[in-house]
Amino acid sequence: MTLPTTVAMSRAMQQPAYTAVTPRTTLMRPAAAPAVRLPKPFRLMFSVLRHNAAAPAAKPTKVVWSDPVRDYVGRAFDPEFAIEGISHQDTQEKLKSVIGYYASMAMQDEIDWATYPLPQQIIAQERNAAQASSPSLDGFSSLHQPNGFTNPASASKKRKSTDVAGFQDHAAHAPIPPWRHTNLQDRVTLATKHNDKRQKKHLGETVSKLEELELEKRKQRFQLETVDRTTPPPDDDSHSDMLSGPIVGTNQKLEKSFFRLTAPPDPATVRPQDVLERTLAHLTKKWKAEKNYNHICMQFKSLRQDLTVQHIKNAFTVRVYERHARIALEKGDLGEYNQCQTQLKELYEQNLGGNPVEFTAYRILYFVYTCNKTDMNDLLAELTPTDKSQEWIKHALAVRSALTLGNYHKFFKLYLVAKNMGGYLMDMFIERERLYALANFSHAYMSVALRFLTDELAFESDDACREFLESHGVAQYIVEDSVDDQLELRVKVKEARRVFEQLRAAAFSIVDIKGQI
Amino acid sequence: MQAALAPFHEAHVLGRGYEVADILSSFPPPNNPGRLYDFHRASNERQIEGDVRYALKYSKVSHISAKESIAWTEIIVDYWHVVTKILSAEEATNKRQLGDRQWVEVYEAWRNLTQLVSRHISNGVLPPWGIWTLLRMANHLRLLAVRADEQLAKARPMNLNPVLQDDIAGTVTSNQKLEEAARVFNRIFSLCLGDRNPNPGDSRKWAVYCVANLQFRTYFKLKAISLSKNVVKSIGAQGDLPPFSRYPLGHQVTYKYYTGVLSFLQEDYPKAEEYLQEAWAKCRQDALRNQERILTYLIPCRLLTRHAVPTATLLSSYPNLKQLFGPLISCIKSGNLAGFDEALLSGEQEFVKRRVFLTLERSRDIALRNLLRKVYLAEGWEDLKEGQTETDRIRKSRIPISHFATAIRIAGNGQAVEDDEVECLLANMIYKQQMKGYIARERGMVVLNKKGAFPNTGV
Repeated sequence: MTLPTTVAMSRAMQQPAYTAVTPRTTLMRPAAAPAVRLPKPFRLMFSVLRHNAAAPAAKPTKVVWSDPVRDYVGRAFDPEFAIEGISHQDTQEKLKSVIGYYASMAMQDEIDWATYPLPQQIIAQERNAAQASSPSLDGFSSLHQPNGFTNPASASKKRKSTDVAGFQDHAAHAPIPPWRHTNLQDRVTLATKHNDKRQKKHLGETVSKLEELELEKRKQRFQLETVDRTTPPPDDDSHSDMLSGPIVGTNQKLEKSFFRLTAPPDPATVRPQDVLERTLAHLTKKWKAEKNYNHICMQFKSLRQDLTVQHIKNAFTVRVYERHARIALEKGDLGEYNQCQTQLKELYEQNLGGNPVEFTAYRILYFVYTCNKTDMNDLLAELTPTDKSQEWIKHALAVRSALTLGNYHKFFKLYLVAKNMGGYLMDMFIERERLYALANFSHAYMSVALRFLTDELAFESDDACREFLESHGVAQYIVEDSVDDQLELRVKVKEARRVFEQLRAAAFSIVDIKGQI
Repeated sequence: MQAALAPFHEAHVLGRGYEVADILSSFPPPNNPGRLYDFHRASNERQIEGDVRYALKYSKVSHISAKESIAWTEIIVDYWHVVTKILSAEEATNKRQLGDRQWVEVYEAWRNLTQLVSRHISNGVLPPWGIWTLLRMANHLRLLAVRADEQLAKARPMNLNPVLQDDIAGTVTSNQKLEEAARVFNRIFSLCLGDRNPNPGDSRKWAVYCVANLQFRTYFKLKAISLSKNVVKSIGAQGDLPPFSRYPLGHQVTYKYYTGVLSFLQEDYPKAEEYLQEAWAKCRQDALRNQERILTYLIPCRLLTRHAVPTATLLSSYPNLKQLFGPLISCIKSGNLAGFDEALLSGEQEFVKRRVFLTLERSRDIALRNLLRKVYLAEGWEDLKEGQTETDRIRKSRIPISHFATAIRIAGNGQAVEDDEVECLLANMIYKQQMKGYIARERGMVVLNKKGAFPNTGV
């Protein structure tokens, strides 16, 4: 994928990049479409345009402005897209001439207005061309070339809002075409550091070079595509892409925003495996340094997507899923973990390496957490005697059986010796089991020493234990009492029985994980 | 073709849906292994349609309306074509020259045939008994789907279709065709459930439980057991079904069995017990295999709900069950913890396969209860106080934790058990109301109720 689209994606997630317009077919009866009432200058624009358009054609027919045109006009006047140094008037002039030009040839419906440069951008580009005294690069006229900006297949509404945004970051590298960039660091920062203010501030100085770059880049992009897709119409072509098997990506960027696919992927947006391998290393490093989970998670999702569309199924795939699963566990994102786990299960079945033993153990613990007896049974059915002799799995199975038999003494001891991510997984249900144990105590004992609870329920200290009890609203049952002439804190569990029972019931009723089938 | 369709006419006149289905079967009956071949030979590619049409039109036995005749012609001609496919697939299998997708094609052809019949029923062209023909055909579809999936699994380890997927795996299943068949069954189910035929005798609602059972069977095989819940729910929501007890017993028993197992898997043991008990009561005396299936779940269920172990007489009638549960049960009775663990471990594979392992595991509590009860009995009686007579004598109710600990260690055959763990097990017994009393931790004593220390065990 080329750069601006990436940025567009990240932006599109923050805010819709376009204004919703109710579909309508004619402009002649504005009252019929009250959904969007244009401000006065806009309405004026249309009347002028209508005039202009009708005049050269010398026909009295009504020109019907489609929604993309209206949207385009709207954007031309949107302050968000205003460019410093280009007046409202100039923009309006340019707009008139652009739309009028197409209307005179009755081509206004064939243009992809969503990606067509805004009038102010065209002006900026023209000025820049004039400054650079290169008369050949007349922005406006060059746009009318057949492989200009009118390819509808690759156009995306989301892209337009950030075309400008992509420019500046390449200002520094002006002589090198952006698609040949190998300096990865600056691309990496691009997606995250991007923000509107900065963009506006710098735009005045850099816009000219950027426009040029952008234009050339686009040309390049579309030339590539026109080579690819000469004869068949784009839609059929993409369809045959899908049927013809995996694509091979050409994107060289390390990071890429995640987007669910709604159409067959474009090889230009997909990263090949060697890039992805660097991406994985990069993400791992970044995770350790920044611990920004949301960002890393999205990056992993796009990484997984790129693997999938290219049908890459090997040891590296396993590594990606394992890494993502571990990170998700660390942050307690069980929905994402569960997705990885499902994938890993299938990958392990194909003997692609990795750490099946470790992750089988996690799966057992996961099913303990979700109380999913059916899945647990299926999992037990799959375990071989060799599996059961592995330390990891033994531990997980012991946890499972301890809980089934209500042997919480053993369970909390196992909690203390859980290894790697197992501890994080057990954290997910440790509180629940503590409440279960307390409910249990409340039936079997009159009162117990706080220290006893600390030890049995694997709290770090008496204070931690006390805090836990207090946070669950049983503070009034903690009393100071003398046993064998020594003062100690005791918990009157029997009196708190009703509270503990309620807590236990509540804790066991809420196992609901998003993303779980 | 006239002769080949003679049995069809007879069955049609009598309105016997199953017999018609046997004529339109995907495999020959055991007493006539050449039936499919004969049927195939009765016509040929070019003449089949004319033959069938003629045979139906000029039958002396049955008088089929023109509209229905067209439908049956279509069905039988289609069937003839499927038979051609079946025969060539079998021949190829025998000669070991099977094409990659031959059984898949048979399955697909049979699926189309099933859907054709379904469509004619839905349009009201076929007589009401046609639903039984359809059900039999649906069952054949299930068998053919399994066979097709087996072939697919062998031929092609993975498919190439996850382009729009975000993740690698997930879409590829090894039961593609059976899943598809399940969807066909689902439509047949709605066809039956939603029938609005005003005449109750002709209603397709009589087939509801039969389809439901077919669906259960398919979902269990697909390991998509949770989908069965939808079927149960739809039946529960349909208020105008005939009374359950008026359905054929076979449908009733199978339905109760499956709903019982479903509740069992959802750990709703009281419901499971109720359903399984009903299935058990209605099951035919000589259907040993089915009784065994019911007991496979009913026994673990009653272990949990009533702490009841099956009698030796019961088990001795079912050698398989005796082998499966026998060792475990005797350890439960004697409170032999180590033996229990061992029996559970050695039977684990079988238990897991039948999905009873996790339930049986919990019956260790009963073994433990029996052991603790023995300790209680061995503690003996309190001394009589002044003025008390022999009838006032009560058992000792204060028992040192260490006594229980010793017993657990003996029964555990040397497994290390810490004192706190013993206490934890005791607390658990009290919590689960298998033992009544409380633990006085500071004094190292268990104080048991003077009456009913071990509920429902006579002490």
